[in-house]
Amino acid sequence: MFTITQSSRRVLVADDDPVMRKLVTTAIQRTGLVVVTASDGREAYRILQSDAGFKAAVFDMMMPHLKGLDVIRYMRTEKRLMRIPIMIISAEQDIKLMANSFAAGATAFLPKPFTPEQIRNTLHMLVGNVKPTRQAA
Amino acid sequence: MSIGERTFMENSETNVTPLLSAEAVDMSVLKAFEEMHSDEESDLIVELIDLYLEDAPIRLKEIRDAVAENDASLLKRATHSLKGSSSSIGVLQVAEICKKLEQMDCQESPRQVEAIAQLLDYKFAKASEELEAERQRRLS
Repeated sequence: MFTITQSSRRVLVADDDPVMRKLVTTAIQRTGLVVVTASDGREAYRILQSDAGFKAAVFDMMMPHLKGLDVIRYMRTEKRLMRIPIMIISAEQDIKLMANSFAAGATAFLPKPFTPEQIRNTLHMLVGNVKPTRQAA
Repeated sequence: MSIGERTFMENSETNVTPLLSAEAVDMSVLKAFEEMHSDEESDLIVELIDLYLEDAPIRLKEIRDAVAENDASLLKRATHSLKGSSSSIGVLQVAEICKKLEQMDCQESPRQVEAIAQLLDYKFAKASEELEAERQRRLS
């Protein structure tokens, strides 16, 4: 469906909270990447069923219908999705939840609340070479 | 100090400093996101305020419904969600109360939960006024 160039610029963001979705989307767009949004885990799952063209994915831990960890587990069982790096965002800072996220296959974990610098650094960890905010296109 | 605030203090094992602050919103937290704003776009801070003021009342209604129906699962879900967005944009008093409510059992202590839920409504109303004032200031 998408060319390699397009796929390498797209990030899937799933969060049921519109404030968090806006913050995460804006931070990603400032790096020059393109965001595809889902308003919960089930919508993210439906998108991933037919579309694997993502450079990375960012999921909220607690979403209605399908939680972030459930979507990660699905992605890690699908050959076409298993290489996509995933960031989990959570209002819980429990070390056990963090460990569960990594055990399920998350690449990065970002606790809420986060500062612009924290999300920028975590995105850098996730997708590499993220441009500084002021210089981004 | 209101009955809700006293109940909150008596039952709180968490840091209550945000609740004692005169300001319901720590604008420095919200304004920190100004650096993500680009000149070509509309004001990100105004957008965040609008999204919050649109979504938070839905969560507050869920919390009221959960308290009325002793629905612990809905209470946890709604307070968790409101806690996340509130803390992220500096609505710290609301976030702190949500954190406390999230840990409470509405079946074990329904009167305490009800008092703290009322305090949540009161603190949200204060936060809304401050956010609305900031919104108007930015648009004028």
